[in-house]
Amino acid sequence: MVRFSRVSKTYANGVAALADVSLEIGTGDFVFIVGPTGVGKSTLLKLIYREELPTRGTVSVEGRDVTRMPARDIPFLRRRVGVVFQDFRLLPRKTAWENVAFALEVTGTAPPHAERRVTELLETVGLAARADALPRELSAGEQQRVSIARALVHRPKLLLADEPTGNLDPDTSWEIMRLLAGISEAGTTVVVTTHDQTIVDRLRRRVIAFDRGAVVRDDAEGVYAGED
Amino acid sequence: MPARTEAAGRRVRPLGLRYVLTEGAQGFARNGLASAASVLITAVTLVALGGALAVAGALNHVAAALEQQLQVVVYFRPGVTPDEVVVARSRLERMPGVAGIEYVSSQEALRRLEAQLGPRAKFRDLLRHNPLPASLVVTATGSDRLRAIASAARDLPGVDEVRDGGLVLERLLGVTRAVRLGGAAAGVVLACIALVVIAGTIRLTVFARRAEIEVMRLVGATAWFIRWPFVVEGAVTGACGACGAAAAVAAGYALIAGGAARALPFVPLPGAGEVAFDIVWKLVVWGVLIGVTASLLAVRRYVRV
Repeated sequence: MVRFSRVSKTYANGVAALADVSLEIGTGDFVFIVGPTGVGKSTLLKLIYREELPTRGTVSVEGRDVTRMPARDIPFLRRRVGVVFQDFRLLPRKTAWENVAFALEVTGTAPPHAERRVTELLETVGLAARADALPRELSAGEQQRVSIARALVHRPKLLLADEPTGNLDPDTSWEIMRLLAGISEAGTTVVVTTHDQTIVDRLRRRVIAFDRGAVVRDDAEGVYAGED
Repeated sequence: MPARTEAAGRRVRPLGLRYVLTEGAQGFARNGLASAASVLITAVTLVALGGALAVAGALNHVAAALEQQLQVVVYFRPGVTPDEVVVARSRLERMPGVAGIEYVSSQEALRRLEAQLGPRAKFRDLLRHNPLPASLVVTATGSDRLRAIASAARDLPGVDEVRDGGLVLERLLGVTRAVRLGGAAAGVVLACIALVVIAGTIRLTVFARRAEIEVMRLVGATAWFIRWPFVVEGAVTGACGACGAAAAVAAGYALIAGGAARALPFVPLPGAGEVAFDIVWKLVVWGVLIGVTASLLAVRRYVRV
């Protein structure tokens, strides 16, 4: 699904986010990317949905080298890769329903199909009852559910979540993580960056640990901290 | 919680012309004063351009009328003898490029002038003698022959003065070129200013909608889809400016042409309606072009995918 081949990324301001990273994420995997803040976890995700280009190396998604992708193809890559953020990025003046619908609207989905899809997604994330609430009327956990529903509108094969529980209390975090795990079980590849040790240790999934731009550990059923 | 009916809230708008036009018009309306300033600066730019176009168009019209006349008028000195007239006429008739010659006696010239000026002029009451000379009106086969005929006519016996239509035409065309060039130069400078002002205004919309743009990029909206509403906003600004400018130029022209028609009744000026019709579409094309360019400049940085 995703393959990094000797990828390095140095930003224009001189910060080296990734140094010679090679890794592979298989179809249907659920992967935690862990490590302290500022070690290149977000950069890793940005390279996958082509928000950033690597300085060296190649990144391929579904067998396609996204580093050589022409600009006009990028929107179509992003319809196959859903992204969720710590700060939700919802539009404050649109309801939950409208926020999800917006993603379908601006990509030219036929209204009858789009309307069915929005309702169905809000049920999937357990927010059908709160569909007409504005983001400020929703709890943080509910807002994150809306943003997950939005990321799923195009039935992506790959879902990226950048610190999705960073703003949530432990109970809500666990619910969101269970939702993501459920999405993974339905066949979507899920990549989650986090530094929530409790959740990582509890879910026992593949853990890739980063430090200073390099992979320091990659365990199939890992925990947050290495036992070495 | 604000009252929301399900029917109003839960609707997906189809993409298309209506979507883009609505979004663009909203952006234009939301910016209020800044949009008005944009329209104003565009109008000023296009008034300069339209003014030059109108003047050049009027001069062209006059030149075309002159060109159609293809005439050299050979004036005889006072007291010319009938023999001299006959000699001059037969020499001119033998010249290549002469299509016809008409003799206009001094009485005939006065009659024609009175007819042209209408009942306002009463020369017969003012003047004791008829001051107008007799003349030969030589019609050429083409405008390229006018100069040769005129220079030959100057050497004929009894000839006082030759009015060469070709020379007048050349001067007129020179003035037309200068007006066009001056108008274009002023237009370019003003267009650059308009571009900056419009781009600044549209950037306000871009800024107001940056969260939406961010989400659009994230969920895979195409760059052109994101740009369209801003392009529409720019086009609306340009078109509004152009219509204002066309109205101003047409009104100004009507005022000046009205005065000119009274002062120079011989000059065949085009009507104000004709001029407005001729420039309005040109101004709209330019206005829209400036507006669209400005909007693309404004979104360039934000809509990089």
